[in-house]
Amino acid sequence: MKGHKAITLILMILLCGVLVYVAEDIPDFGDPKAPAIKYVKLFHLEAGASENALNQGRIPETISIALKERKFPLPSRAEKTPGAENDWDVFIPKEEAYYPKEEKFYRIKKEGERLHLYRYAFVVRWIEKGFKETGAPNMVTHGLADYRGYDTLGETVVIFTAGVSVILLLRRRSRL
Amino acid sequence: MNSKKEEENVVIETASRIMIPFIQLFALYVITHGALGPGGGFQGGVVFASSYFLYIVVFNIIEGKKRLPESVYTTLSSTGLCIYAGVGLLSIILSFGMAQYLNYGFIPFTSHFEKNRSLGIDLVEIGVGITVMAVMVSIFFDLAGKEKKDKGE
Repeated sequence: MKGHKAITLILMILLCGVLVYVAEDIPDFGDPKAPAIKYVKLFHLEAGASENALNQGRIPETISIALKERKFPLPSRAEKTPGAENDWDVFIPKEEAYYPKEEKFYRIKKEGERLHLYRYAFVVRWIEKGFKETGAPNMVTHGLADYRGYDTLGETVVIFTAGVSVILLLRRRSRL
Repeated sequence: MNSKKEEENVVIETASRIMIPFIQLFALYVITHGALGPGGGFQGGVVFASSYFLYIVVFNIIEGKKRLPESVYTTLSSTGLCIYAGVGLLSIILSFGMAQYLNYGFIPFTSHFEKNRSLGIDLVEIGVGITVMAVMVSIFFDLAGKEKKDKGE
């Protein structure tokens, strides 16, 4: 018995040490000055003459080829981001895999002689189209009850199951 | 029996009698305004259940069981779930199998697709609220009271 207790104590101390060590590495969350993650950077290209094509709404060959190599959905047209210089929104066409409607998918930004390609995060679509599609102004609710309706149904079933199991355990008329 | 009468406190009883309707009203507000502001079924259900907890704490558990009998809250806990699943099923039935499960837009409340969706969200929140309220009350009764003591008195 004594050996068991000693081993348990050592394991507990080790576990506490690991927890303290891990907690040291955790970054500071909830920094109010941190920018919102609206897009993820994919890659960058040499600009060349593709700026004119983008301004006319066409997608340059180089970008389509680069996207095809990396197996991303192919773009259909470009549009200038309102209120920004050297900045374009790129759309993907209808009936693309998983996207039945036309979606704003990439963002291209020109910095110096390079074109930086970003992919929009899902949050952007959620904020821009959520109210139009569901008619519920509260962003959390239309996520909870509409986009993730199955999930909430499951959560409700979990609560119901908790109630039933408490009834089964505590409301015993006869002792087992 | 007489000792119980002495324990009753006029101030607490009166205060809780005034508080409980307002707590319930607030709970209904939280549930119905889930789509407009902060809130929703889970929170509103818990607030509604807390009004019953206050009633049971101030008065005793027998009075509480008279107000909300065992048969009622056991049935309610599954009714809310049936409302949720039923709304999902209704969208399949009323669109003749065109829509997916839980796609509220196809339930013809109004002529607008988006308005149907928001009304479907409201119905679902009501279902969630009923279930959460009933399950919380059920767990509270099971933890608080013993059956034999109730029968003895």
